[in-house]
Amino acid sequence: MGFLNAIRSFIVVFNYFCMAFTLLLSIIYIIQLFVSLVRVHRNYDKTFSDDFHSYVDSDNLLPISLIIPAYNEQEHIVQNIRSLLTINYPMFEIIVVNDGSTDRTGENVIEAFKMHKIETSIRYRIPTQKIEAVYYSKQYPNLLYVQKQNGGKSDALNAGINISRYPLFTCLDADSRIEKDALLRLSMEFIKDSRTVVAGGIVRIANGSKIVNGELKGFSMPKKLIERFQIVEYYRSFLMGRVFWSASNSLLIVSGAFGLFRKQTVIEVGGYKPNTIGEDMEIIVRIHRYMRKNHKKYRVKFNEFSVCWTQGPMSLNDIRSQRRRWQIGLMDTLISHAGMTFNPRYGFVGLVSMPYNWIFELFGALIEAIGYFLIPFTLIMGELNMFFFIIYFLLAVSLGVILSEGSLVLEQYTHRGAMSAKQSIAISVYAILENFGYRQLITLFRVEGILKYRKLRKTWGKIQRKEFEQ
Amino acid sequence: MKVELISVIGLLLCLLIIGIEYILHYRLAELQDETAARTENIRRRLDIHVEGVLYAPTEGSRNAEIKALADEINGDFTVYEMAVAAINEHKGTVYRDDEEARAALIERVNEQVDPVGIYAKMLNEGDVYHKGYACRRLADLGALDYRDKIKECAKEKDRDLAYNAAMALCSMGDVYEVADYLLSIQNDTQYSGRIVNEFFAKFTGDRQELAERIFDKCNPYMRCTVIKTIAVYKIDAFRPMYKDGATGNDTQLKIACVKALAAFGYPEDEQILQMAAKDKDWVVRSSAVRGLSLLKTKTALDSVKHALSDKEWWVRQTAAQSITRMNISPSDLEEILGGYDRFAADAMKNVLYKTVDT
Repeated sequence: MGFLNAIRSFIVVFNYFCMAFTLLLSIIYIIQLFVSLVRVHRNYDKTFSDDFHSYVDSDNLLPISLIIPAYNEQEHIVQNIRSLLTINYPMFEIIVVNDGSTDRTGENVIEAFKMHKIETSIRYRIPTQKIEAVYYSKQYPNLLYVQKQNGGKSDALNAGINISRYPLFTCLDADSRIEKDALLRLSMEFIKDSRTVVAGGIVRIANGSKIVNGELKGFSMPKKLIERFQIVEYYRSFLMGRVFWSASNSLLIVSGAFGLFRKQTVIEVGGYKPNTIGEDMEIIVRIHRYMRKNHKKYRVKFNEFSVCWTQGPMSLNDIRSQRRRWQIGLMDTLISHAGMTFNPRYGFVGLVSMPYNWIFELFGALIEAIGYFLIPFTLIMGELNMFFFIIYFLLAVSLGVILSEGSLVLEQYTHRGAMSAKQSIAISVYAILENFGYRQLITLFRVEGILKYRKLRKTWGKIQRKEFEQ
Repeated sequence: MKVELISVIGLLLCLLIIGIEYILHYRLAELQDETAARTENIRRRLDIHVEGVLYAPTEGSRNAEIKALADEINGDFTVYEMAVAAINEHKGTVYRDDEEARAALIERVNEQVDPVGIYAKMLNEGDVYHKGYACRRLADLGALDYRDKIKECAKEKDRDLAYNAAMALCSMGDVYEVADYLLSIQNDTQYSGRIVNEFFAKFTGDRQELAERIFDKCNPYMRCTVIKTIAVYKIDAFRPMYKDGATGNDTQLKIACVKALAAFGYPEDEQILQMAAKDKDWVVRSSAVRGLSLLKTKTALDSVKHALSDKEWWVRQTAAQSITRMNISPSDLEEILGGYDRFAADAMKNVLYKTVDT
């Protein structure tokens, strides 16, 4: 009897812990939302006198290398390169790194852009797998195609860095599109503050949107519920989370789909870590670690007006694979840099950002998932007051809606004109609906990522995506 | 019961916040639609007016069309800017290729619209961002009457406003104010470098006078930055200073001065550049190599060839790029490409594969 009572007491205490945890997390999120609202509002006002177009012919503008790591991307790669060739930036080079694809990725690029093999010397400032050949096109002098042995995405990016000529580089996913002015806007972060070492742009879900040569030509609501939920989810993640963390120079992740880096800094920290699936987060954490350890002044920035469009997963299986991968990437990075957590040497990053990611982003999913099973169980056992349970549930849902709806308000500020008022309001319905089923499902996928960490930490998985509408 | 009461209050508060958010969201979305519709409407009407102005058969009818256009603009700066852009971008009229005629036409529109008045109002009544914007536009319109007001803005604490106002003064060619502004930010090394670059590029007054005024009072960092920036303008009066710097011990000053001297491409500077090409700092060596390539003498070519096997990759690349601009004989080229020096051969191949059609 004593043992049963102990379990019962533990469950009750854990219930209260879950509730307190959820409320605390919601309060943190609301603070994030508030800070983000203030900052986005200020940044929007600032864009009024920000004459970034005048920098097009300025000597201050830094040339950029666009690195596209490609592995079996035969469907998207040519279209993506064509879209990138039209971006509004005076000096850039595109480096397509074929990471030992087994399909026709290489042939498609070589044929489409009439490329020929050249001999060139490569500075291996970051060790990578062997580069087998470099192709160049007279017709497109700012395009290079690199053929290398398979070594993973990080290795492909490192090879691209080795071969790049320019002081800034950006890594772009083969299945993403950046808006015409996105690079110009992002490079402003480097021009206006020479301490900037990384700047990330906002990634938006392209499902339902028509994007032609880096310009949004129309939005229609995507067909599947799962795609609609992702639109709201991305707004929340980027406009609320990243704006907040960048304000305190402790942003730990810049999306792998679109980030601009100072090449010298990335070389100094040793490039992307091979054999990791969360390379985009890992490199940022390593940069924080290196810069703070060496007492260097630096900034990791986020620009909510630089837009990159990406196709979100369209099936439950794909979203499961994606979220599992993200969680494993997060866990891998946190474990690799565990020494930074609660370490005052790393300032705000070590004392706030790292613990936040451990407690709320990593274990938060676990606690939330346990709560999903335990709270109803406790209710059945009669240990929880029904009225209290309902109030708690409604409170948790309301807090979730506040955050999602707040992100939609932020979206109105940053991307005016993207959707009609009708569409914008229609999207907000999904800010409510996502709390009933979708959010719980995502939490379970994240937990699965934690549980399968050891097994899947080196597996990328492939997500089916549809073509961009042209 | 207390906890439950607090929870209910919390829930009601949440619902209230959600309600406010929805209203804000709806209002913003509605405003966005209204603005889009209004802009589209204005654009359509503007197109008609602009065509009327451009294709008017007589001067009298053109005046009438300009008047109608001014009525349409009605003191709204966004509409005014759209109209000017439409005139500048309109295809198919004589104005398209005749920049002077177009400028004269815009001047006639300006007489009716009084854009200076619109921006002056913005300068007086707007927030810091609008004020900054107004400063720039007033400078574009050559509104010298507002120079004093812009000068006041250049001294403001808000960095954006001060920058925009100083940029406006730059367009007006105001040596004293621009120099004072640049000196005021000289200790902020993260910021001042690009500002110096931008300001000298936009400055419409005497650049030599501006540089002299800065050199009088500036710190070593600002001196180097200004020297590097004005290198492209090849100001002869500063050559003695460049020569001193290029042969001195201050590395940063040496980098700046070698870059400035190299830009001239004068044969009498060859000796200094030859010495700089052997400097311990690779940036100095790289600048010197670029300068030597402009001289095209036998000794300069030898030095550039030597730099092809420099220990620093960037110097090798600079040398390879420079050598293609010099009168190098095919036999010399063959010697480099097939020679024992792998660094030199690689650097040359790198450049040649991209310049010669293979």
